[in-house]
Amino acid sequence: MTTRTGSTASVRLGAVGRYVLLIVAACISLAPLLWMMASAFKPGGDIIARPFSFDAGRLTLHNFRAMLETIPIGTGFRNTAIVVVIKGALTMIFCPMAGFAFAKYTFPGKRLLFGTVLTTLMLPTLVLLIPLLLEMSQLGWVSTFQALILPSAVDAFGVFWMRQVIMAIPDELLDAARVDGAGDLRIFASIVLPVIRPGLAALGVLSFINIYNDFVWPVVAVNDEQHQTLQVMLSALAQNIRSGQLGADWTSVWGQLLAASTVAAVPVLAVFIVLQRHLIKGVMAGSLKG
Amino acid sequence: MVTVTEAMAARREARTAGRRRVKAAPYLFVAPFVLVFAAFSAYPIFFALQLSFTNWHGAGALRVVGFANYRYLLASPDFWQSMATSGVLWLLVVPAQVLLALTIAVALRKARFRGLFSAALIAPFVTPLVAMAQVWIILFDKDFGAVNHGLTSLGLPAVGWLTTSVWAKVTVALLVLWRTTGYAVILLLAGLSTIPSDVYEAARIDGAGAWHQFWSITVPLVTRTLSFVVVIGTLTVFQLFAEPYVVTGGGPFNGTRTAGLYLYKHITNSDLGLGAANSMLLVLMVLALSVASIRLLRSREDS
Repeated sequence: MTTRTGSTASVRLGAVGRYVLLIVAACISLAPLLWMMASAFKPGGDIIARPFSFDAGRLTLHNFRAMLETIPIGTGFRNTAIVVVIKGALTMIFCPMAGFAFAKYTFPGKRLLFGTVLTTLMLPTLVLLIPLLLEMSQLGWVSTFQALILPSAVDAFGVFWMRQVIMAIPDELLDAARVDGAGDLRIFASIVLPVIRPGLAALGVLSFINIYNDFVWPVVAVNDEQHQTLQVMLSALAQNIRSGQLGADWTSVWGQLLAASTVAAVPVLAVFIVLQRHLIKGVMAGSLKG
Repeated sequence: MVTVTEAMAARREARTAGRRRVKAAPYLFVAPFVLVFAAFSAYPIFFALQLSFTNWHGAGALRVVGFANYRYLLASPDFWQSMATSGVLWLLVVPAQVLLALTIAVALRKARFRGLFSAALIAPFVTPLVAMAQVWIILFDKDFGAVNHGLTSLGLPAVGWLTTSVWAKVTVALLVLWRTTGYAVILLLAGLSTIPSDVYEAARIDGAGAWHQFWSITVPLVTRTLSFVVVIGTLTVFQLFAEPYVVTGGGPFNGTRTAGLYLYKHITNSDLGLGAANSMLLVLMVLALSVASIRLLRSREDS
């Protein structure tokens, strides 16, 4: 009897420990984000003097106004939007197309091609940085939207993932359509795409986040301000601050940085909050390749 | 005998039917992928390999220098320092991440509000890295940052998070851990969900405690996912670029100049042949580390 109550108590203790751990972990995850957003609305001096206190009466938009004068963030948003829309669309059309071919057809060369997909999955992206940059300059594409969009428009991970998703479609469904006289393209557009809509949605969310946040390639491929994406613009602001170009008035400079970071984070966080179920499903699906 | 010939005939029929059905369609479907891959992955890689044997600076004719770039790098203290910096960051990030992510995933598995917790944990992974890197600069500033503000108000000494080369590594590692651990948790949660619950029940009937269950059931059964997490972590750390680029610029005293940042230096110096050779060495390194960590984890699975 005593051992029984003892174990129930320890189970209860375990459950409490579990939630304490999860709540602490969730707080650590969210704290820097919330601090960033809240501090962006504080007067510069308060960010430094009282980093953990928030006084609703002292909130201000001053940091946002100052930031808008320092960097052309609207241009950054426009450029990122162009890249996200076009590259995202290409990903969501071409990845399922290739995935369909790998999942439901046998054709000479399939093994070799699929092998390249798997190899590309493991290739560090940094290795491509220099040769790809040189290729861009040979093509005259440095600081263009083509350079930002095309090189990774059909990524291997998307192809692999869509193949997994399409493999789950029963062959009978496709055969029935074929008997009814539907061509390959018809089958793809009117059967495969509608059936895989959940997987496609997850691919869309993941692509949106990845493309929106992409930094390494855009910072290398673009030298002029007209084509800078939002992320590149943000890092330029940070570098100007470090090199002292914006002066040493920390109170003003930090407020601007926090305002710019908040503005850059809000769209992607909004998409995330609305579509997070798809994203988590997508990440889980991605783990199954391991 | 009859059945064998029948089966062969049926197979032949199926094959010709398949061939008739195939035609051009699958090739058209994979064409966009193949074109993009050939133009922007295959070609550049071969170009980089060729370039790594030249001393090209971005203009003029290619001059072949044999293995000179590789020899230079392997004898260069800067190269090894960058590798060592990445190695230290690996030590600071990967073991801690595996431990944290596994603990949180196990706690999350049977918890209520799983969706809500998952969302909170993965939010850092979604936020733009550059934005968060800037928040890190501000939070970890030695004189005015919120972290030191908190430490001193607790009576602890302020730390030079960004001003000493040792602590700067820790600060960068904390950013990487903060951003990517939630992602690892979700991956592990997917791995854990494949373990049938009757395995645990059987263990409980045998009198295995929670700790014993964790080590003898959970860990071995998620080895695959764990090795995936380790490989992703390794790839992330050895390609680390944006975090130190924004937070520290590689400083102080090159203390956070990672392998990725050192590679970038060749681009800004227009030492493209050298840079290409450096990329090749980096790829070998990353592949070797990934294979080694998979081997290590898989061997535990067998035993």
